[in-house]
Amino acid sequence: MSAAVADRRLHPGTILLRFIKEAPPAVLALPASLGFASRAGLEKVLWIAAAIAAALLVLKWVAWRRFRYGAGESEIVIESGILSRNRRTIPFDRVQDVDVERTFLARLFGLARVRIETGAGGKDEGLLDSVSLAEATRLREAVRAFHAGAPAPETLSQRPPAGRLLYALGLRRLLVFGLFSFSLFYIAGFFAVLQSVDGLLPFDIYDPARWTGLIGDYLPARFTASAIAVVLFLAIMLGVVAGVVRTVARDFGFRLVVEGSRFRREHGLFTRREAVIPRRRVQLAGVDTGPMRKLFGWSGLWFQTLGAGSERSGRQAAAPFADSGEIAAVLAEAGPYRLPPPPALAMVSRRHILRSVGGKILPLAVLIVAAALRWPQALLLLLFLPLFAASVAVERHFHRYALDGDLLCVTRGAWRQRLWMVPLGNVQALSLSREPLQRRLGLATLSIDTAGAPVLKGPRIVDLRNGDAEALAARISLYASGRKSGTDR
Amino acid sequence: MGDRMLTALDPAYVRLLRLNGALAGAALIAAAFAAEIIFGGRLGLARGMLAAPAVVGFLYLALLSPGRRYRAWGYAMDGEALHVGHGVLTQVHTIVPLARVQHIDVSQGPLERALALSRLVLHTAGTQHSQIVLPGLRRETAEAMREAIRGRMAREEE
Repeated sequence: MSAAVADRRLHPGTILLRFIKEAPPAVLALPASLGFASRAGLEKVLWIAAAIAAALLVLKWVAWRRFRYGAGESEIVIESGILSRNRRTIPFDRVQDVDVERTFLARLFGLARVRIETGAGGKDEGLLDSVSLAEATRLREAVRAFHAGAPAPETLSQRPPAGRLLYALGLRRLLVFGLFSFSLFYIAGFFAVLQSVDGLLPFDIYDPARWTGLIGDYLPARFTASAIAVVLFLAIMLGVVAGVVRTVARDFGFRLVVEGSRFRREHGLFTRREAVIPRRRVQLAGVDTGPMRKLFGWSGLWFQTLGAGSERSGRQAAAPFADSGEIAAVLAEAGPYRLPPPPALAMVSRRHILRSVGGKILPLAVLIVAAALRWPQALLLLLFLPLFAASVAVERHFHRYALDGDLLCVTRGAWRQRLWMVPLGNVQALSLSREPLQRRLGLATLSIDTAGAPVLKGPRIVDLRNGDAEALAARISLYASGRKSGTDR
Repeated sequence: MGDRMLTALDPAYVRLLRLNGALAGAALIAAAFAAEIIFGGRLGLARGMLAAPAVVGFLYLALLSPGRRYRAWGYAMDGEALHVGHGVLTQVHTIVPLARVQHIDVSQGPLERALALSRLVLHTAGTQHSQIVLPGLRRETAEAMREAIRGRMAREEE
């Protein structure tokens, strides 16, 4: 086999595409802030902007000139670097898949970004940004032809010609999903805008005293309750519309297809994304829902994967808005995952509430009383403490766990309800930790570490009784170190 | 686990903790003195208002804390997993199934070399505990543990 020669360049449109992408901060923001800081005239600022734009364009052109790639019979080579040159060779038999991603801007130019997945976990191990769509298809076909022809190792050769559709998100359901994706974030944004509009609201909405029943005495007569209701209504409507727009843009035409031992997923209205999730890379599965969504039987399924796909976090949406039957169907394809029957899940210790009272509510009460010595109104805040305690009790009700054979299930959150399903074979390490108050109450927190997890948001079981925690840890550790190794091998 | 007996680290590790604590404490005192000389007059601080707490900090770091930290450390290895316990205020007990270990380091800093101590570092594919560090082992102990763990890893690969 002949070695591949790096004889191709990216599509020249890339220069313009990258220029447009990077122009706003460099060409607009920088000169604007310069002009603001130095009080230079408009003309001068425009000259600076033009100079920066020209420099940026030249830089993009040089980067384009210095980037070459080429596909041979059995490998792809990429040469890059403006000053220091780097030549990277990726053999086809290491390539898991070729992902093609098309942003809205790229679609206008007829371009596509090609990402060559090798499973090394690096972010841009083989990134061609961007080539023409025809070239992207050619590269993908070259890799597939190699795997189809050669008796390639691993999973790729076993791939059947066509996949089976596991899950698709229809338009009607997508809109319902959008309604549920209503976000308080936008309301906060709306209020931030309102606040910055001078004179519209003559009070500081972030002042907590306003929200503790003192609004009436301060407001001028023209800001009546009905005016505030209108503002609130507008903010909520905006939140709803923004949620729908965001959801439709992201998840329009969501499809999950199973092809042999991997999932293929595509979604997006403006930016069409296509990604592959190899089954053996799935480390754990999660189901997210909320109180309202649960009432109507909807929830979202995701997989945590080890360094694959185009999403950085390692969390891959698998069925963003589905009923439990659909989720069970996808889970059945994913490996040793199954939804736990609700009665199997046990709550954590009742002393969990006691710990919150002792560790958070009591200190807070002391703080409030101390503050009340100076500002007597602060005593009103004490009214919130019983609510706080009640919310802790509710949270405990939703914090449950179950060890079902080789699958550990953990649920958490009353508002954002999340269920983790961890096959014990994928547990990398576990730890029991005890704070001083936990030691006093005989409690322990069990954290389970898996590959590809976000640093702080992995499955944890907070405030187990000591004995339960130790028994559970011993069982998990025995299983994880046993001969029954996980799906990642 | 609670009923599992953890082996204590080598007693020389207390000396290492003391040395490290004394170095950190000395830096604290030096910083306090410097701050007193530079800002003391301007802020109208009495002599020693910064240095005295720094000396207390030194005593804590060099004398009180090392013993407590040393006693909190412990390890145990059965055939399947390595148990590591540490932490004075929040006690943490970490369990690493040996089959999950990706690779192992035995490392030594200059102070550790002077005291003939080594550190055993286990790397897993996890994120939170991608490195499990067990300090304060005699070099022979660390190397023997490394060999034992390597044997377990090798068996798993087959």
